[in-house]
Amino acid sequence: MRRLATLGAAALLVLVTSACRDDGGGGNGDGGDGDVATDFGVSAEPCPAVVNEANGCIYLGTLTDLTGPFAGFGTPLTTAQGAFWQRVNEAGGITADGVEQAYDVDVTSYQEDTGYDPTSHAQLYEEMKPNILALAQTLGTPQTQAILPDMQASDVIAAPAGYSSLFNVEDVILESSASYCVETMNSVDYAVEEYEIGSVLAVHFDGDYGLDAAAGGQIAAESHGLDFDHVITPAGADQQEEAIGRILADQPDLVIITTGPTEAAAIVGGAASQGFTGRFIGTNPTWNPALLESPAGEALQALYQAGGTFPTFGSDTPAHQALAEAVGTPDDLNDGYTAGWMWQYPIKAVLEQALANSDLTRAGVRAVATGLTTVDYEGMLPAGAGNYAGGAAAQIRETMISDPDPEAPTGLTTVQDFFVGPTAEAWEPEVCFELLG
Amino acid sequence: MTKLLEAFADGLGRGSVYALIALGFVIIYKSSRVISFAQPGFMIAGVVLVTYLVQVSWLGFFGAMLLGAVLIGLLALGIERAVIRPMIGRPIFAIAIITIGLDIVLRTVAHAYIGPLVRHVGDPWGTSQLHLGSVRMDQRHLAAVVTATVLVLLLFGFFRYTRMGLAMRAVAEDQEAALAQGVSVGAVFALSWALAGGLAAVAGSFAAAGVSVDNTFWPVALYALPVIILGGLDSLPGAVLAGLVIGVLRSLADAYVDDLSWLGENPSLIVPWLVMMLVLVVRPYGLFGTREVERV
Repeated sequence: MRRLATLGAAALLVLVTSACRDDGGGGNGDGGDGDVATDFGVSAEPCPAVVNEANGCIYLGTLTDLTGPFAGFGTPLTTAQGAFWQRVNEAGGITADGVEQAYDVDVTSYQEDTGYDPTSHAQLYEEMKPNILALAQTLGTPQTQAILPDMQASDVIAAPAGYSSLFNVEDVILESSASYCVETMNSVDYAVEEYEIGSVLAVHFDGDYGLDAAAGGQIAAESHGLDFDHVITPAGADQQEEAIGRILADQPDLVIITTGPTEAAAIVGGAASQGFTGRFIGTNPTWNPALLESPAGEALQALYQAGGTFPTFGSDTPAHQALAEAVGTPDDLNDGYTAGWMWQYPIKAVLEQALANSDLTRAGVRAVATGLTTVDYEGMLPAGAGNYAGGAAAQIRETMISDPDPEAPTGLTTVQDFFVGPTAEAWEPEVCFELLG
Repeated sequence: MTKLLEAFADGLGRGSVYALIALGFVIIYKSSRVISFAQPGFMIAGVVLVTYLVQVSWLGFFGAMLLGAVLIGLLALGIERAVIRPMIGRPIFAIAIITIGLDIVLRTVAHAYIGPLVRHVGDPWGTSQLHLGSVRMDQRHLAAVVTATVLVLLLFGFFRYTRMGLAMRAVAEDQEAALAQGVSVGAVFALSWALAGGLAAVAGSFAAAGVSVDNTFWPVALYALPVIILGGLDSLPGAVLAGLVIGVLRSLADAYVDDLSWLGENPSLIVPWLVMMLVLVVRPYGLFGTREVERV
């Protein structure tokens, strides 16, 4: 009897939960008013967190990492992404001339923590798919690869949380800044110009992140006739002895580091303490401002520079000012906030144009995305960024170089503003990480 | 020769950390016959706690580490009383599985306190080196060796010369006989968990010396598994010796990586596990463990 009661209660709970989901979740075909075509993830009802009573709601999914190895990255960028859309909503939401209906954007109802696991990523994507129009964030290249076939088949566009060169050749992925591969080409070109280097060693994680950057280093080294080698290093600050040994044995003029922050600090600190005096340039996500307080802080300031694909937090652009106003000065300030903010501009541009076309269906949104020729990043990226109609060849190739600086908000000060080196300039786009795999 | 000696010196530093974590495994195993897989969780919890405690300026690294070890020891004791004690008499396998769950919970909570920024234990050595002739050694490794030596001597003194140490040895020998002699087996269980937790916190603090801590740090504790298999699950001297052996082997694999290229990238990652598999095949009770005699 008790078992029957338990089963009954469970069934009731499931029914109630399902009913609540249908009421409050994203629309799936019945969401627009008579003038705007919709199918998935658009509702005529206001968003659950109402900003504009009269607006409908566009639901965007978020697949991020809040507890896994890239939680330090996923957490701030998800916060900034939420702040971005809050600002949009407070300014009236997504609107278009000649279209009466406006929409707020909801990025929290379908926000899920994948733990950086591709299987969870794919599973959570499937669960949220019927309720979302697009993805405001999909974090991780292998994770995104796991859902790409379905995104293509279902016309789901996404802003990627990452900089893989793969994303340049996928039309449903709206990558904002230069890939790891291009960034590293520019970093090597910078070092050739600045330090007259003769050899490059890439120390990197296995997988697309590390291989993408290392391949960029190899392409640039070949174009300059430099000696090039690479070594794969595992995650973990205490696992870097082999990489340090290789640096000390090879004595390269430039070491490209594409790891996590703790590994980078262990490598730079460990090599410097044993007398290495060559230069290090870290790929964009390698930096973390707390490294300045690490035992390797002094060595990092002396030998390390950070590659970058966008101006750091606190830079003087309208976008950065809006970001700073929206998130304030959080204790955990890093450029995850900046990236999370930047990546939403193309989604906003696509939604605005799709609404102007009175077509907020997934197919309508995808058609707009693939035809977009420019995105207004409010100064965060150079003019010309966001030319998705131009395909991979038209994607942005400008990157920056910064020095560690304890006085700067994110511990970095730009020493080389946006530039494109000769290697990246001449490069025919391809998926770089497959070259070294 | 210099390269060999440097690898040896680095390996002793690494091995001291492994030995301290392995001692926790062995102490719990000797008292309760349970392999506690919660040790990595206690280690990372201890490290994260120390990164916070060290911000109290008057504590310093050693004060923070000692206080952290005591607090993690108390946490382990509390967990033993609340979660493990009710399982006494149940299959050992079930208790071991519970410790896996404990490990996941501890790590998840500890990682939440790391946050987006990396953390540091504030050790006084950093990446500084020590030069003995032409041989270089990290100061933090020397500090780990010295600390581990002191702790091991204290532990052996405790087991040899104190009433509680004697009680723990009695329980390790025969629980029922010890109980009949008035030994509080429950107190022995609790103390063994507290000691293991405290040792994990100290080991983690030295593993984190000179580097930064994020949520990829905890796997360092897993190297205690090949250590306890090599040394013997119920041997304290075995844990110490095997810890040093595994540490040295890993450092040798790093130093002579070109000679081990047939093992693929990063051979030092797999060398301890190859040793473990070899020991399990050839001498499953380890170098110093008690050989199980089974009636058939």
